[in-house]
Amino acid sequence: MALPNLLRLIYRNIIVNTDPGSLVILVGLPGMYLVFFGFGFQSLAGGSASGTSYLSFLTPGIMAFQVVMAGTVGGSMLWADRRWGMLAQLLSGPFTRLEYLLGIMLTSMAFGLGGSLVMLGVAFVLIGSIPTHAFALAVIFGTIVVGSIFFGAMMLLLAALVKSNTAYNSIQILLIFVVNFASTVFYPLSSRLPLVLRVLFEVNPLTYVADAVRGGYTGSLDLTDGYQLVVLLVETTIVLAFAVRAYLRSDLSYE
Amino acid sequence: MPAVPVRPTVTLPAEEIAISAENLRHTYDRRHFALDGVGFTVRRGEVFGLLGRNGAGKSTLIKAMTTLIQPTSGTLRVLGMDPARDGQQIRQRIGVVQQAESFDFTTVEGNLNIYGVLWGLPKSERVRRREQLLSRFDLTEIRRRRAFDISGGQKRRVQVAREFMHDMEILFLDEPTVGLDVIMRRTLLDSIRAEVRRGLTVVFTTHNLEEADYLCDRVAVIDEGHILLLDEVENLKRLYGGKKTIDITVGGKDPAPFFARLPEALGGGSSVRTNASSAVILTDDPKQALATIVELSRSLGVQIEWLNVRTNTLEDVFLRSVRHREGENGAA
Repeated sequence: MALPNLLRLIYRNIIVNTDPGSLVILVGLPGMYLVFFGFGFQSLAGGSASGTSYLSFLTPGIMAFQVVMAGTVGGSMLWADRRWGMLAQLLSGPFTRLEYLLGIMLTSMAFGLGGSLVMLGVAFVLIGSIPTHAFALAVIFGTIVVGSIFFGAMMLLLAALVKSNTAYNSIQILLIFVVNFASTVFYPLSSRLPLVLRVLFEVNPLTYVADAVRGGYTGSLDLTDGYQLVVLLVETTIVLAFAVRAYLRSDLSYE
Repeated sequence: MPAVPVRPTVTLPAEEIAISAENLRHTYDRRHFALDGVGFTVRRGEVFGLLGRNGAGKSTLIKAMTTLIQPTSGTLRVLGMDPARDGQQIRQRIGVVQQAESFDFTTVEGNLNIYGVLWGLPKSERVRRREQLLSRFDLTEIRRRRAFDISGGQKRRVQVAREFMHDMEILFLDEPTVGLDVIMRRTLLDSIRAEVRRGLTVVFTTHNLEEADYLCDRVAVIDEGHILLLDEVENLKRLYGGKKTIDITVGGKDPAPFFARLPEALGGGSSVRTNASSAVILTDDPKQALATIVELSRSLGVQIEWLNVRTNTLEDVFLRSVRHREGENGAA
């Protein structure tokens, strides 16, 4: 029996994006963050000899960071498909624009979930324990799904608006850098931070993703996490609406 | 130039019509029309050629027929359906080879495989077709190379081969032979002919008029969004029935006076197109024209370096129809 259109597109998106180079960037880079930053900062912070306490803090952060990497997959797919003619080719085939868009978003989500599971596996090797409570896992992976949609939509918006390869890559790298380091992925939000940085942390959706995942991971979920998740959902809806609008208005190729 | 270049569309039973267009117009900027009142019918099982210069409107027309753009106005039916309403149903029954490159970042065989999956082929059928197409398009040796690392001609072959991974009723080929060597070009054209014998309808755009002559049952010459000529290839060539074309290249002294006096010397039965050192002459009486050319060249001390008399080709038809329109526009 033939697969439905959407699953065929997701299959294609995953196959095209799982070459060794892409996998190193998608999983290897966050994995290296976890190992090098985990042990490196732990030794600076003077924690326990095994470094597990900072690793326990960093692991959910790096799992959250996977949503940004997943977002870059989505944006890059649209950009590359426009640049290399596959968008027009696919849309002159049996697919609709909506199916193509959903295919990208679901692929981003799959990469977000897959990447965070890999990080969880790496953490298990390094720390020796991971959360197993069903509610905690539901919060963690539910947040990863919403975060993947947010960053997938953000990168789609970028891919729909930017035509130059150099500009697209530069903006994407800048966004990853700012979003990553102006969040609670690597360190907690401190009241001693300069006001501007604190505001940047607090408006950054990755902070909400990291806090909710960390809450689920450490079993310390509270009302603030619930409030942050609601804000994340609203932000995701808004960014997704802009992304869909830009995508539908964009040219099929850069000819 | 003969009058009534566009042969009126013969009324066909609906089941014999693959595509019909009536007064089709399309604008990208609301000022200039890439298609300006285009009308034609493509019969099922024929190869329909679209000839035209760059920017003539061929690709826009292909995009409209393949549902990638919605025409600004006019009526278009593909396989009896309205592209604006039934786009997905149409696309499930057509194949498209775009003018631009289009590949996934994987190997040659990977591209064919993925395409088979996208079109919902069962694995056994996918493998069978992939192997058959790799062999038919001489791609077996490069099957494991990345599609972006192969030559332009090889890429084109992959693009065309990939489209044959699925079944279709109409195949749109937008300049499919660009970058192909002579042998592969002929292989591709013969492959298309074989598919046409099995009932496939083909819409084919090209710059290469020999190809159109070889492959197409009917051609439409399109320029600035208008169809200038539309008929069977042989009928178009017969538009210049009895006339011959003389190609001439001269050297020696300044050839300008020679070319300036040539039209008058040949008289009204001939038409002359010239550039710096050569001319193309369409004439009713090649024998008399040759005598005149030789006499004139002697009297002006001009050396004839190349002289050729031939029957008309589709290229002559194309060039004359386009230039005739330019003349009309200039006069207007």
